[in-house]
Amino acid sequence: MYYRLPQFEYLRPNDLHQALETIREGDWKPLAGGTDLLLDMKNGRQSPKKIIDISRLSELRYVRTNDSRVLIGGGSRLQELLENVIVKEKLPLLSSAIYEMASWQIRNIATIAGNLCNASPAADSAPPLLVHGARVKLISSSGSRTVPLSEFFLGPRKTVLSNNELMGEIDVPLLEGYYYRYYKIGRRHAFTLSVVSMAIAVKIENGIFSDVRIAMGSVAPKPVRALNVEKELIGKEAKTVEITKAIDLVSEDISPISDVRASAEYRMKVTKFLLKESLQESLKYFWK
Amino acid sequence: MSSFDLERLMNKWLNAEEFYVVGKRIERADTLDKALGKAKFIEDYYTNDMLFIKQVTSRYPHARIASIDESEAKKVRGFVANFTARNIPGENQVGYSLPDQPLLAERKVRYVGEPVSLVVARDFEAAIEAANQIKISYEPLPHILDPLEAKSRVDVLIHEEAGSNIAFRTKARKGDVEKGFSESHVVIENVYRTSQQDHVYLETEAAIAIPGLEGKLTILSPSQHPHLTQRIVSRVLGLPASSIRVVVPYLGGGFGGKDDEGPLISAKAALVAYLTGRPAFIEYSREESFAIHPKREATVIRYKSGADTDGRLKAIEVEIVHDTGAYANRGPFILWRATMHASGPYFVPNAKVDGYCIYTNKVYQGSFRGFGNPSVQFAAESQMDLLAEKLGMDPLDIRLKNILTPGSTTITGQVLDTSVGVKEALESVASKAGWRDKWKTYSTYNGRFRKGIGIGVAWHGISTSRGVPDWSAGTVKIEPDGSVSVLVGIVEIGQGSPTSSHRQIVAEVLGAPLDMVHVYFGTTDAPDTGATHASRGTGVGAIGVYVASIELRERLNSFAAKLLNTEPEDVVIHDGIVSSRRDPSKSIGWKEFIKKAYNSGVNTTASGYFFLPKGKFDDEAGQGFAYISYSYMVVISEVEVDTETGIIKVLRVYPAISAGKIINPIQVEGQIEGGFVQGMGLALMEELKFNEKGEIMNRDLTDYVIPTSLDAPEIEKPIFIEDRFKYGPLGAKGVGEMALIPAPASIANAVSHAIGKRVTELALTPEKVLKLLEKG
Amino acid sequence: MKVSFKLNGNPVEVEVPPNEILLDTLRLRLGVKGPKRGCERAECGTCTVLLDGKPVYSCNILTVQVDGSSVQTIEGIANDELGRRLAESFSKEGAVQCGFCTPGFVTTSYALVKSLHEVSDEQIKKYIEGNLCRCTGYKKIVDAIKNVISSQRK
Repeated sequence: MYYRLPQFEYLRPNDLHQALETIREGDWKPLAGGTDLLLDMKNGRQSPKKIIDISRLSELRYVRTNDSRVLIGGGSRLQELLENVIVKEKLPLLSSAIYEMASWQIRNIATIAGNLCNASPAADSAPPLLVHGARVKLISSSGSRTVPLSEFFLGPRKTVLSNNELMGEIDVPLLEGYYYRYYKIGRRHAFTLSVVSMAIAVKIENGIFSDVRIAMGSVAPKPVRALNVEKELIGKEAKTVEITKAIDLVSEDISPISDVRASAEYRMKVTKFLLKESLQESLKYFWK
Repeated sequence: MSSFDLERLMNKWLNAEEFYVVGKRIERADTLDKALGKAKFIEDYYTNDMLFIKQVTSRYPHARIASIDESEAKKVRGFVANFTARNIPGENQVGYSLPDQPLLAERKVRYVGEPVSLVVARDFEAAIEAANQIKISYEPLPHILDPLEAKSRVDVLIHEEAGSNIAFRTKARKGDVEKGFSESHVVIENVYRTSQQDHVYLETEAAIAIPGLEGKLTILSPSQHPHLTQRIVSRVLGLPASSIRVVVPYLGGGFGGKDDEGPLISAKAALVAYLTGRPAFIEYSREESFAIHPKREATVIRYKSGADTDGRLKAIEVEIVHDTGAYANRGPFILWRATMHASGPYFVPNAKVDGYCIYTNKVYQGSFRGFGNPSVQFAAESQMDLLAEKLGMDPLDIRLKNILTPGSTTITGQVLDTSVGVKEALESVASKAGWRDKWKTYSTYNGRFRKGIGIGVAWHGISTSRGVPDWSAGTVKIEPDGSVSVLVGIVEIGQGSPTSSHRQIVAEVLGAPLDMVHVYFGTTDAPDTGATHASRGTGVGAIGVYVASIELRERLNSFAAKLLNTEPEDVVIHDGIVSSRRDPSKSIGWKEFIKKAYNSGVNTTASGYFFLPKGKFDDEAGQGFAYISYSYMVVISEVEVDTETGIIKVLRVYPAISAGKIINPIQVEGQIEGGFVQGMGLALMEELKFNEKGEIMNRDLTDYVIPTSLDAPEIEKPIFIEDRFKYGPLGAKGVGEMALIPAPASIANAVSHAIGKRVTELALTPEKVLKLLEKG
Repeated sequence: MKVSFKLNGNPVEVEVPPNEILLDTLRLRLGVKGPKRGCERAECGTCTVLLDGKPVYSCNILTVQVDGSSVQTIEGIANDELGRRLAESFSKEGAVQCGFCTPGFVTTSYALVKSLHEVSDEQIKKYIEGNLCRCTGYKKIVDAIKNVISSQRK
C-alpha cells in the first residue's frame, strides 16, 4: 500500500451520447484508459473531483480507411492499433512508434486519444501523426470541430480541448510514395520514456525534395514539426550539401531542456544526427 | 567428534569424486510454489487488524530538528500515535560499525529521507493522512554533497563528534612503491568514478511485528541475518534477545540492501508493536525505498600502476574515496574490502593503498552485492588494459603474466592456498570467446557502429575479513519416517541456498533421497548461521549442516555395518539404498533402515558447527591476513557502440568462475546471469541523481532505469573451474556476488576497445560516450 | 460502488469506493495474493493480471473499470493445464529466484503462449518487456517460455 488515490465521483456512461451530455456541465475528467491519469493522481499532479470513464465506448474504437485517409477512433487501444492491418500497412510510422511505446500491459489499456490529450512533450504517438498532418475531431453535445494536431497542443499538458469535449477521432491523411523513418532514443532498449523521438517522411521527385515532413518529441514543450528544416529543404536539390545546410536550422524548431533523463546538449546533438541520417537514407531510397 | 576427526572426515568428503545429487541440475524446492503464485511474501501476511505505520522523513539534507507538532495529526480519524526518538525505551543507536546512527533522527537530520517519526494509525488511509499532518520545523544547516569537498572541509561537520567528515581510513602496504615505479617501464595514472546504485529488489521493505506470541515479540522480517535483527531489536526495545523471535519468510530479493534495512525496519515495527501492544505493519513505497534504504557507495579512485617491459606489474598506488553518505553503516567494512582487493587478482610486489570513507549529506551507503569490489576492480582492470596498450601487448597476455596462482603472495603479504583456479578460468574462457581473433578484428572497425571486446577478472575474499569471527552452524535430524529436517539460519532471498544447495549437500552426505530432505530456514529458532551475504549462503552457510550430516553419516555407517555384517568403511548409502560394497546383493531401503535405527538406539539428530580459522591483520602496517580464501570470476563481454547516439548494446558475455565445487549448476548459472545483468545496470544506466538540495531526482522506476529483457545480453554457459576449498562444504566457495564484480570492468574495457577512448566514469550513459568520442 | 466481474472463472461482486485499484481489491478484499505490489506505478509488472485475456497492470486500473469483465490472476492460471505447464517450465529451467516477479511473468507469458504459437527469442523478450526481474538476467525466463511454446507446436 504505497499511494492513496484522492476521492472522486465516478461515472461510466452507456454510450457516447450520454457521455457528451454528462460533460456538458461540471468539471468531468475523462478516463480513456487511465494509465497516465491514475499516475498523475497518485503523485498529486491531478486530483479531479469527477471522473467519466469513456474506456468502454465502442463508438470510439475503430480504424477505417479510404483511398486518401485513415480514420482512427480516439478510444482505440494502442495494442489494437499495433495489431491492426490497416495501421501496419498504411501508417508504418505510427505503427513503429506504438511498437516502442510503454509495455504490452500498458498498450492493452492506453488509448491513442489519451496519449494525445495528456499532451506530454514525450507523447510518442504524436510525431508520426504530425508528419501526416493529422487532424483531430473534438466532439461535444453541441457538435464537433476539427483541429490540426499541430494546433491541438499548447504546451506541456495543455491542449485546446475544452471540458465539454472529447477527442472522438484522428483523421490521418495518407502519404503516397514517401520514404519513412521513425526513431526512439531512450535510456534503455525497451519500456522507457523517450529522450528524443522523431518521425520523418520524405519525397524526392526529379532529384528535388518535393516534400519533407519532420516531427519530434521530447525536444520542446510539446511535440513539434521541424518547419524551418522542412522549408529549407523543399524545392532544393536532393543532395548532401543541402541536407547539411538545413539540419542546423533545427535549433530554430526545437528547444530541448536538460532534465534527469538527458541534457539539452545531448538531445540537440542526437536530433541533428538523426535528421542527417534519415535524410541521407532518403537519398539512397529514391536513388534505387 | 574431535576436531581431528572432523578435519579427517571433511577431507574425505572434500576429495569425493562421485556424486548422485551434488553437481546435478536440481530443481529447487521453492520455485514451483513461487511460479504458481502460492509462495507468500511479507505483505501477503498483512491483515487489516494490524496497525499501519507510516514514516515521516526529513525534507532537508542537514538541519536541526526544532520541534515536532502532532496536534493536527491527532485529529485524523484512526490516528493512534506518533513515535519519535523520545519514545524508544532502549537505545536509539543502531550504527553498524560506528555508533553514529539513530533509528529515528534525534536533534538533527543528515539526509533527505531520513526517518524522524513513525505515525501509527488503524489503517493505511489514516496513516498516510496523519503522516501528512505531522509538522516538523527545522533549522537548516549548511550541507555537503560532494565527498572530495567533505573530505577537505572541517567547517561543516556532518557528525560533530567525529571532528572531521572522514568516517574511517584503511591502508594496505607492501614493499616500496617508489622503488617499484622507478623500475617500471610504463606508468599509468587515472581517476575513476562510479555512482550510487539502488538494489531495486522487486519487493520493497516490509515488516510485521506481533507482540506476545507464545510470550515473545515475533517479527516477520525482511532480514538477511535473523540473529542480527534480533540483537538490534533487543537493543532498541531494551529487552533481552530471548524475548524476540525473528522469522524471515521468502524475500523478494535482497542483494545486501535488506542486510542493512532489514534490522531497522524490523525495529520500527517492533517498537510500535511493543508500545501499543498490538500487531503492527510497515511497508516502504518504492519511492520511500529509494529515499531511505542504504545504497551502493559512489566512489572516486585514483589509481597509479607501473609495469616493466615484459608487462610484469612492479607497483600500484591507489587512493580510494567512498562516499558513505550520512552514516558510516558498513562503510568501514566495504572500504576495507575494496582496499584489500585493490590490486585485482594479480601479483604486485609493491603496493600502497589508502582508503577514505567520507560522510556527506546524502542517503547513506551499505551492503550491495560486490561490497566495494566492483568499483575497484573496474579501476584495476582498466589500468591493466592501459598498461597493455602502452606496452603493445594483448590485454590477455598482460593478465596471464601477472595472474595469481596457488602459493602467490597478495598485497597484504598473505600466501594463497591451493584453491586458486583463476588462471585456468581466464585461459579457457578466452579461448571459448575467441578472444585473440576478436580483439584484433574489432580493432580494425571504424564505421558508425563499432564493436569491442573486454575482459574483466575479479577476485573476492570469502567469509568475513581479518580476524572477524565467522562460523557456520546447523542442525540435521532424521525423522522416524525417514524424512530429514534441516534447521539453518540462512535466509531465502532468491539465491537458493537453503532451498537447493543445502538440501543437496545433506542428501549427498547422508545418502538420503533428495525429496525427503526439507530445510527450515531464516529464523532465530535455528542456530545463528551468520548472515546471508558475502556470497556465503552455501560456501560458509552450509558448512554447519554439512558437518552435522557427516557426523550423522558416521553413525549411520556404523549401524548399517552391523545390519549388513560388514565394516563401516564398506557401507554405501546412495539415494536411499543402504548396501555393502563387498556384497552389493545385501541392501536395505532408506525408510526401513531409519525405522531400524530408531528402534536400535541410534541418535538421529546432530548439530554441526564450524569456526573458520583466521589470521591477524596489522592495521598500522597494512599487512597480514585478509581472507581465508577467494573466489575468482572472469567475464569477457562483447559490445556494440553507436558512435552517433552513444548507445551501447552488450551483445554477448562469456563467463568463467572458480568457486570450488559447484553444488547446483542451474543455481550457479542463475547467479552469474543475474549478477552480470545487475552489474551491467551499474555500468551503463543506473545512477542516483541528486539535486542541489540533496534530493534524489530519480526515485522511481521510470527515471531510475534498470535493465529489461531487451537490454540483457546473450550469456554463454559458464565455465566452471572447481578449485575446491578445504573448509567449504564438499569444497564449495562463494558464487552470489561474483559475476557482478567484473561486469562493469569488462563492459568498460569493451567499450574503450570499441571507441578507442578510455572509459573512466560509470554509469556509461550514451551522453558520456559521446563526450568521450569528442575528446581529442 | 457495486462491481461484478468474473475472477478466475467465478462471478464475484464487491462493494468498493471508486478510487480503489484492482490490485488492492484482489489482495486486500478478495485475498487473492498472487499478484504482487512492486511499484504501484505501472513500472515493474509484478501485479500483472489478465483482463479479458490481455495482460494489464492491476496497480494502475480502478476496480470500477473492470465491472462486467473477466479477470484472471496467477491463481486461475495455475489451475489451467497450460498455466501449470508454464509454471513447471519456469521452475525446472531455473527461471525463478526470489520469485516476487514470477507470478507476473507467468501471467504475461500465459497470454503470450495462448495467442502465439511461433515466436522468436527477440519477440518473447519484446512481450515481456513490461515485467522487470532483478534476479535472473532474463535468460532462463526466455528459455522457460520457449520450451512451452515449442512443446505446444509438437
